Amino acid sequence: MTGMDEQGHPETEEAMAGELKHMVSEPLLPVEKALIAVSLLLGLGLLGLLLWVSRTFFPAP
Amino acid sequence: MRMKHPTHSEDGWAVLVGLILFALTMTLLGGIDSLGWVVVVREWTALEHALAPVSPAYASLAPVVSLVGTFFLMVGLFSLAAWLMGREVRSFVPAFAVLVAVSYACLVAGHHAWIAATPDKRAAHGLSWSMGLTGEAGYIFALAAGLVVGNCLPRWAAWLKPAARPEWFVKTAIVILGAALGVKAAGATRLASAVLFRGFAAIVEAYLIYWALVYLLARTVFKFSREWAAPLASGISICGVSAAITTGAAIRARPVVPIMVSSLVVIFAVVELLVLPWLAQACLYHEPLVAGAWMGLAVKTDGAAVASGAITDALIRSRAQADLGLTYEEGWIVGTATTVKMFIDVFIGIWAVILSLIWVYRIDPRPGATLPLGEIGRRFPKFVVGYFLTFLVVLTLCLTEQGWLAPLTLAAREADVFRTLLFTLTFLAIGLEADFRRLWAEGVGRLAVAYVVSLFGFIIWIGLAISWIFFQGVQPPTVGG
Repeated sequence: MTGMDEQGHPETEEAMAGELKHMVSEPLLPVEKALIAVSLLLGLGLLGLLLWVSRTFFPAP
Repeated sequence: MRMKHPTHSEDGWAVLVGLILFALTMTLLGGIDSLGWVVVVREWTALEHALAPVSPAYASLAPVVSLVGTFFLMVGLFSLAAWLMGREVRSFVPAFAVLVAVSYACLVAGHHAWIAATPDKRAAHGLSWSMGLTGEAGYIFALAAGLVVGNCLPRWAAWLKPAARPEWFVKTAIVILGAALGVKAAGATRLASAVLFRGFAAIVEAYLIYWALVYLLARTVFKFSREWAAPLASGISICGVSAAITTGAAIRARPVVPIMVSSLVVIFAVVELLVLPWLAQACLYHEPLVAGAWMGLAVKTDGAAVASGAITDALIRSRAQADLGLTYEEGWIVGTATTVKMFIDVFIGIWAVILSLIWVYRIDPRPGATLPLGEIGRRFPKFVVGYFLTFLVVLTLCLTEQGWLAPLTLAAREADVFRTLLFTLTFLAIGLEADFRRLWAEGVGRLAVAYVVSLFGFIIWIGLAISWIFFQGVQPPTVGG
């Protein structure tokens, strides 16, 4: 058992442990930066809206 | 060791088994009490008073007959489901029977009045002091038993492993819990709608903020590749095992990646389960539903989150009664934790579609590659549908015909017998699965550090803040209040 799949990628825990130890850094792509930024901004932006809807239409009894 | 791709077939069986038990209790609407004989565990000082049939209609039935009948019903039903699932029945049946027996032992021990009795019940038991943990202390015993066997007795743990399925147990319990919450919601529709919407709002907030922060940390500080960072972000930030696996499928990660992440999720879920309910009791006993939502947002895996909700429910009711003189109605805290968790499970599917779109078209475009929508659809948690189905059916019945409230309340109490046992089995199985030696396995350390930093550094506290923002001031009904 080599711990590699048909493409030569490790697919066992032992082989993955080695991969984790020697992982090469991949720079953040613009699309990843956009995903992070949009997600955070949407989260903060929706906070006010959802809070207003909660208190207006679903008030605490 | 070659890893097997995880299967989610237990999800469908959780719905089916839950609906079978739910349907049997519903026969009460036709005047047939088909499950009134099942055993309920009560607080006791003399062991002969620990067990009784759940329905007054079966009061004359010997408790031991009730116990044996319930034992064989559970073992029979789950063994049949395991067989139909294609499991190795010869290893499942004896192991499951032992788990059920140990669960009942833990429940009985946890219901001893010294441990369970809340201050208002001490006089009835002739006690001047008790720990006041309620009968849910049995869950703690079950978790402790599971942890001891799982970490100190590996041969026993290996023998029990075929039947230790915490996600199956808790998902079945959640389907049953929907019926009980339906009865409660019928008496407090405004509160129920507030919990539903605010739970939805809380998870939208949590998901958007958690995921982005963990992904950023994993990619920039811990230097994980995209294939590792995405399942790790989903596993840490939201719903643990199922989120890691669904995200892995969405970005076409190798199956072993979410499996390694999931092994950490299970371990740290136990740590959260052991710490957060007591923290909530200490700080949030005057805001019970904030505590419930916090358990749903902070504790990973469905099993541990709902289990934390159950413990928090017991601890906070006990503390509120002792310190505030308020007896909160049982079930609203665990119901809030469960509702939040349900919405998270739904949101995982939506997030997985978004991630797969970004990966297929922008990050990792491959010739002929299409969105793995079929895979994401197959992984959609069916038990969420089961939970909302039982909830809505019971709520509708209660609101339609006033005369059905009494039989439906008894039906919910009978269903609760199975919910309680399944929660106990969940705690036991979580303990068995949590192999802390994994933390010292080669290569896992970096993942574990990322997990700890994210979870205890900000996930738990952002979850608390979001829970406070949406649930502060929302109070559950009080008994006699």
